[in-house]
Amino acid sequence: MFLTLKLLANRHPSFIARTVFVKNNNVDDACRLVNRILGKEGILEQFRLTRYYEKPFQTRRRVNHEKCKAIYNEDMERKIHFVLRKNRHEPFPGCH
Amino acid sequence: MLSAIRNTIRATTNSIVRSIYTTTPQATEKFDHKRIPADDEGVQGEKIIDLDSVLKLKQNLFPTLESDNYLFDGVPYKDLPICNIRVTHNNTIFTVTDSAGAVKFTRSCGMEGFKNTKKGTNIAAQTTAISIATKAINKGYKTVRVRVRGLGPGRLSAVKGLQMGGLDIVSVTDNTRVSWNPPRPRKAKRL
Repeated sequence: MFLTLKLLANRHPSFIARTVFVKNNNVDDACRLVNRILGKEGILEQFRLTRYYEKPFQTRRRVNHEKCKAIYNEDMERKIHFVLRKNRHEPFPGCH
Repeated sequence: MLSAIRNTIRATTNSIVRSIYTTTPQATEKFDHKRIPADDEGVQGEKIIDLDSVLKLKQNLFPTLESDNYLFDGVPYKDLPICNIRVTHNNTIFTVTDSAGAVKFTRSCGMEGFKNTKKGTNIAAQTTAISIATKAINKGYKTVRVRVRGLGPGRLSAVKGLQMGGLDIVSVTDNTRVSWNPPRPRKAKRL
């Protein structure tokens, strides 16, 4: 009930959203976990992007660069998997 | 000699099919890749937390329906005093409030004696945190929940400093103001 009311007032109420309890007095780990979650969710990135105005040409360039990077990363991942595959007849050819 | 042959070939091919470019296209623009920072995963330092493994442990790390009434030092969670930390690039400001949010006392790196650029360092944040922690304990706020807002060099060291000062930190909350459709931000800095 209490939570429902809180959620009605604010979709991200403080001390419910983005909160981590400290376990065994290990504050460092809790902080790191919060930061990690923020990073994964893209909140830090959004904060960085909206700190200063990004001109349209910069947005275009950034998006294009991200596209290129994604394509490169995907292909490279595939290549690495191909090179590192081990289900061959002879697992390590040329290594005698 | 060679160029003469090439010219005759080009002349014939031009008339038959289409022109063949013998030079490679040259990029006129240079893109400065350094200006786009690497993906920020919120990781600082050498210790990296694997999120999946932490979540699999199923500890009571995150607040639930009942967590408002959990007792810490005999006080329910929702009635614990709050320590707000405002972290910016140039300063770190600590405010201790009661559970309702009424400000009891405040302290900033500037008040602590750090001036100008020194205000924005992690060392300044830590010393200020220790000093406000001792002050809070003197006034009877032993167990607090921490709410951090903003990014800056003092973010981690501020919370660490509160613990070093002797405060008992129950939870760490992030309250950074982020919008996905913000008003137009200020002009970018010129490099």
